[in-house]
Amino acid sequence: MPFPDVKLANRPLHFLYLCDCSGSMAASGKMQALNQAIRQSLPGMAAVARDNPEARVLVRAVSFADQAAWHIETPTPVEQLEWRDLQAGGITAMGAALKLVAAALQSPPMEVRALPPVLVLISDGQPTDDFAAGMEALLRVPWAQKAVRLAIALGHDADLEVLQRFIGSEPAAAGRSPRRPLQASNATSLAQYIQWASTAVVGAASMPASRVSEIPLGPAAGNIPLPDLPPTVLDPTDDVGPLVW
Amino acid sequence: MNWILPEGASLGFEGLAAPLRIVRGLGGGTQGQVYEVELEGERLALKWYLPACIARDPGLERRLTASIRSTAPNDAFLWPIALLRASPASRPLIRIRQESFGYLMPLRPAAYVGASEHAAGRLAIGLRQVLRACFGLADAFHALHLAGLCYKDVSLGNLFLEPGSGSILICDNDNVAVDGADHGAVLGTPGFMAPEVLLAQARPGADSDLFSLAVLLFRLLTRHDPLKGQMELAIRCLDEPARRRLCGEDPVFIFDPVDARNRPDPIEHAAALITWPIYPRPLQALFEQTFCRGMKQPSRRALTGQWKQELARTLDQRSLCPACGQENFQASGASGLCWSCATPLPVPITLVLPRGAVVAAPDNELHPHHFDALAGEDLRHPIARVVAHPQDARRLGLRNLSASPWSAEAHDGRSQPVAPGESCSLAPLARIHTPAGSIAVQRPSRPAPAA
Repeated sequence: MPFPDVKLANRPLHFLYLCDCSGSMAASGKMQALNQAIRQSLPGMAAVARDNPEARVLVRAVSFADQAAWHIETPTPVEQLEWRDLQAGGITAMGAALKLVAAALQSPPMEVRALPPVLVLISDGQPTDDFAAGMEALLRVPWAQKAVRLAIALGHDADLEVLQRFIGSEPAAAGRSPRRPLQASNATSLAQYIQWASTAVVGAASMPASRVSEIPLGPAAGNIPLPDLPPTVLDPTDDVGPLVW
Repeated sequence: MNWILPEGASLGFEGLAAPLRIVRGLGGGTQGQVYEVELEGERLALKWYLPACIARDPGLERRLTASIRSTAPNDAFLWPIALLRASPASRPLIRIRQESFGYLMPLRPAAYVGASEHAAGRLAIGLRQVLRACFGLADAFHALHLAGLCYKDVSLGNLFLEPGSGSILICDNDNVAVDGADHGAVLGTPGFMAPEVLLAQARPGADSDLFSLAVLLFRLLTRHDPLKGQMELAIRCLDEPARRRLCGEDPVFIFDPVDARNRPDPIEHAAALITWPIYPRPLQALFEQTFCRGMKQPSRRALTGQWKQELARTLDQRSLCPACGQENFQASGASGLCWSCATPLPVPITLVLPRGAVVAAPDNELHPHHFDALAGEDLRHPIARVVAHPQDARRLGLRNLSASPWSAEAHDGRSQPVAPGESCSLAPLARIHTPAGSIAVQRPSRPAPAA
């Protein structure tokens, strides 16, 4: 006879991409590389979601250029997600994107109980609107304060200072380097960082992984200990192409 | 996935006479990557560590070498077979610059699925199989602890189940060490870690294994977490500081008989409320022992041998509801109601053995430990199984799974031989004589006729 038809109680884990779609993203195939990186990361993300029954992983995406707009507005279970390509063109309304996300993280519409949300900001340039106001609006929202905030700088023109303000400063703990924006200088490293954020970080935020003693168990600097970054894997047969930005 | 070892390539390793073919990558995490490999026609698994993992854990190589020398405590462990380092000729083929190593282990058969599939309710599995898996888990940790070892990182992620039989496999045995001897890097997985380890008051060892084992057994039996009740519902954002409070600083068992602060919520935690009453009182008591007094006193936690004994007894008490067919596990003699449909359960036929009693319900089995006071509980070598008659499922028989003939004695005193592989109908029998000992067939006493 079957085991009783009961399921483990779970909590939503909101994962939000904030994608720069300004005109400069059209250069050197950056927009296509980002679309590919996210699309390729989805099966791995779905597998992590399956392995973590305590979490209900829901994905959304905001694009920003002349304005900020929802690219995926409905929180979508990762296994049902189809990634439509983002198109590049316009300026960099990053501040507006932060305000859009801030509104979405208010309760309601946010659930009363959830796992820490994961916000991933990807940009190749400098905000052209009021970034500070957007950041202020975001950090007023408790769920945004609790969120794991990651930033990926595409190429050398990205504004690292702005991205650092997005993720917040975290003092260097013993044996750990301070958190910095991830710098993707080509399509391969972009794909690795997207994969890392959508699998290892989602895993860490939904069900804690094995803990080793070097990670202090005391009140941690962040509310979720971040997993190791992927190692640099040498791949001579890299089929994504050695695009350098 | 960016595979560190090239799929399809044959690589040479120090100490291996033949090259190892990397068949395909199976998965990867923050520790390393696992591959299916072929060595001289045999399929095995290879775990290859990331340099960061090796750097964090200086004792890793020493622990693995010791485990390889000492061999597996029992066959439930996917135990390390050999430590591998690439030969100088193969090193350039490994797509990572820093020095690294890995270990070979048996390959997990495809029929075994991750225990999280059961936790998520996606696995078709029966209560009997879940209880057998729990017994297998307790048995494996019993063998490990008796060998003086501890596992340190018991969690849902390290356990695999075969849903048809309830067989288990335990992977990621690279933290195993002599209890108390080796301070490895791992502390455990939050949610499974003992409170004293989570609060950094103790290092993981056999006593914290007992806590983690009880959490894993509870999660398998109830599909719920033993510490997630009202106190979890009061937490908005379940992050690290919140988990630390819930599982370390103020942990309260959801079914604590005295402290009612963390009772399950009827809607959010329905799984716990539905499944907990299925299990007999002595089994529940072991959870209470571990999660109440044993919460703060590691030496008071239920031991692996106690779990083995109660899980085996629970399986012995398995009966089927005549109305809905669901499995029930209430103590013999206690005529209760079916947990699923609330139909009164009839008092079943019981097989009374030199050590214990087994309810006559299809698939219940008799084992050597039912006859031999010196044999520990072991479900791997049954000597008899209750079977339903192929034409009339209500007629129960007992199949001889041993290698010796039995003698079945009817109520009228006549005896009949039962050869290995044959089954005898229980209805006319008073007892069965086997070389292991005698089996008395006990029927419920008929109500006395009214005066």
